[in-house]
Amino acid sequence: MKKGYSLFWLIPLLVAISAYPVVTRSVIARESVFLILMYVTLAASLNIILGYTGYVSFGHIVFYGIGGYTAFYLMYKFGVHLIPAMLAGGVASALVALAVGEAVLRLRGAIFAIATIGVNEAIKSLVTNLAFLGGATGLFFNFKIYRSYGGAAKAIWFAYYLMAAVTIVTVVVSYFIKNSKFGLGLFSIREDEDAAAVLGVDTKRFKSLAYAFSAFFPGLVGAIFFFKAGNIEPDDAFHLIKSIEMIFMVMLGGYGTVSGPVIGAVIYERLKGILLVNPLFKNLHMAIAGFVLLLIVLFAPGGIVGLLRERFKKLRGVLE
Amino acid sequence: MKRLVAFLVGVSFLMLGLTTSFAKDKIVIGFTMSQTGKLNAESAEQYRGLLLWQKWVNSQGGIYVKALKKKLPVKFVYYDDESSKDRVQQLYVRLISKDKADFLISPYSSGLTASAAVIAEQYGKIMMATGAASDSIFNKGYMHVFQIYTPASRYLTGALDLLKAVDPKAKKVAIVYEQSNFAKAVATAAKKYAEKHGFKVVLFESYAKGTTDFTSFLNKIAAKRPDAIIGGGHFADGETFARQIFEQRIKVKLVSLLVAPAVPKFAEIGKAALYVTAPSQWEPKAKYTEASAKKLGISWYGPTASWFVKTYEKEYKEAPGYHAAGGFIAGLVLQKAIEDAGCLDAEKVRKALEKMDIMTFYGRIKFETGKYYGRQIGHDMVYLQWQEKGGKLVKEVVWPEHAASARLVYPYYKKY
Repeated sequence: MKKGYSLFWLIPLLVAISAYPVVTRSVIARESVFLILMYVTLAASLNIILGYTGYVSFGHIVFYGIGGYTAFYLMYKFGVHLIPAMLAGGVASALVALAVGEAVLRLRGAIFAIATIGVNEAIKSLVTNLAFLGGATGLFFNFKIYRSYGGAAKAIWFAYYLMAAVTIVTVVVSYFIKNSKFGLGLFSIREDEDAAAVLGVDTKRFKSLAYAFSAFFPGLVGAIFFFKAGNIEPDDAFHLIKSIEMIFMVMLGGYGTVSGPVIGAVIYERLKGILLVNPLFKNLHMAIAGFVLLLIVLFAPGGIVGLLRERFKKLRGVLE
Repeated sequence: MKRLVAFLVGVSFLMLGLTTSFAKDKIVIGFTMSQTGKLNAESAEQYRGLLLWQKWVNSQGGIYVKALKKKLPVKFVYYDDESSKDRVQQLYVRLISKDKADFLISPYSSGLTASAAVIAEQYGKIMMATGAASDSIFNKGYMHVFQIYTPASRYLTGALDLLKAVDPKAKKVAIVYEQSNFAKAVATAAKKYAEKHGFKVVLFESYAKGTTDFTSFLNKIAAKRPDAIIGGGHFADGETFARQIFEQRIKVKLVSLLVAPAVPKFAEIGKAALYVTAPSQWEPKAKYTEASAKKLGISWYGPTASWFVKTYEKEYKEAPGYHAAGGFIAGLVLQKAIEDAGCLDAEKVRKALEKMDIMTFYGRIKFETGKYYGRQIGHDMVYLQWQEKGGKLVKEVVWPEHAASARLVYPYYKKY
């Protein structure tokens, strides 16, 4: 597979987006960009299992929740710093993905999708019943926790920088996976799993690894998000709607491409964000967002990137 | 010449901008509400209550600010939080830094309020937390969040006080609750309270969300012969539970369930609803008046309950529930604090809130200033009971005594 150049513009783009609130010192921009980066990371990591490997992980938000809970508990109970707590959250998510993958990755198609929803609901119920995780009411930070970061204002900026770093790493990793032998193996699984197995691709190991990679990054995101939110509860951590939004973003941008999830996430977040604060549309934003998505899915199944690649052959090198 | 004109125009615009930003001509109150998502119904009612307060206060010319020697009208700025934590912080930052909100009202629900609290605290903005009954927010070092609702820890404890007052010999309590966030917190707190006050908790069990068959619980209850059953969770399960208690003719003296009996639709189960009690933050029939304020030696503030109910019904063609009252009171308490402080400075308003101890149509309002800073300690839940009046089922307030509209019918099994 010929290597493309998408990183040459994707990374500067992400750096520019992330730098904007820092340069302007605008907290409003920071809040918006934080969500954009969060969505980009979620979409890009889901893309590894959904786009590259062809497995529709419907309950993918479970890994965001696991990472969030692991990190939150470490910070809440033991006062661990955000960075190690976040990494622990990512690792916990990846480990759960490896273990759960053993079972669910044997399934294919719709059955796999349904099984992943089941995993999400099962873990949600488990957490709801664990008293040390606060049960159904969740855990709440003491405001003092932000003091060791120099106060809440600085803590939120810190969370922001961390989110920017995680986003860039996620996109870079997703690029290298796609352009590696491993990625090639994943694509062959997506096209025809049995044929791939016959040709010597270790499908089981490849799938598990892809699943673990795609679980690691949402774990990091969950950790940062709930650190900033100051509390965590099962309904928010394992919110199935967000899972569906992740799939939307990947489909909107173009699944299986490196830039697709980034573009999809940016557009989706902006669209929602603008509609939400517009006095005319704030009551209708969900309907409008849904309608726009419907149009795109109906008339451009390859997403925005797919459409552009089809129309402009020259763009294929930079849009992959 | 052109340049000079441009310069002068520029300067005059700048000055215009400066003067408008200095002369405070309104009080901006910001909040998010759940226009979409699972919290929509409750949040919308809370908003209607708030809106009614705004109309009420602006019809009098606004809130009197002593430092400015005039009344300032109230302006609302609000956004939809989609019942989700994702955007709450983004929107509260926007409310504070872009819309220049002077004060904040919380979103609906404890989870969303906790996220908004991080932002409010960071900017030192006062936030009235209404629709948030969790205790957990209030021992976390927040100094700017003030709770309107009676917290979860005191939700069902009144049922025990009621039982003690009406029948001091009744000691055995069964607590059966839904496995949901709120019910669990309430039940755990009720158990602790019961044990501390000499009750014996003979059964403490939870049932899964969506349970439709309570036979196994009822068998256990029948075997333990408790005097009271307290617990519940949401509407559907609470209604079913109440119906099956009746169908099995459980001989119990008091039944007090969360949420379900407080909803008017509860009457559809007919005789099974009779004599069931429930806690509620507020009921239209709750009789908090100037007289009850006087009895407690505190001052009365704001309109009367009958004014609120009448105006609300006229405005929205439906009876107000406690969510609506909670919205109205959040505004009213803020208004009182601003008037007491005499200015819009957050720290002075905070001091005024610390000192506040008033009676309103919604009940008493007083905030804790110790470990659980900002938690509501003045307000009590009222207990309603379904009673029969002229062949019809009606809700009557039976507890606390100074708010009661009728006497408790006791014991529950009297109807069998």
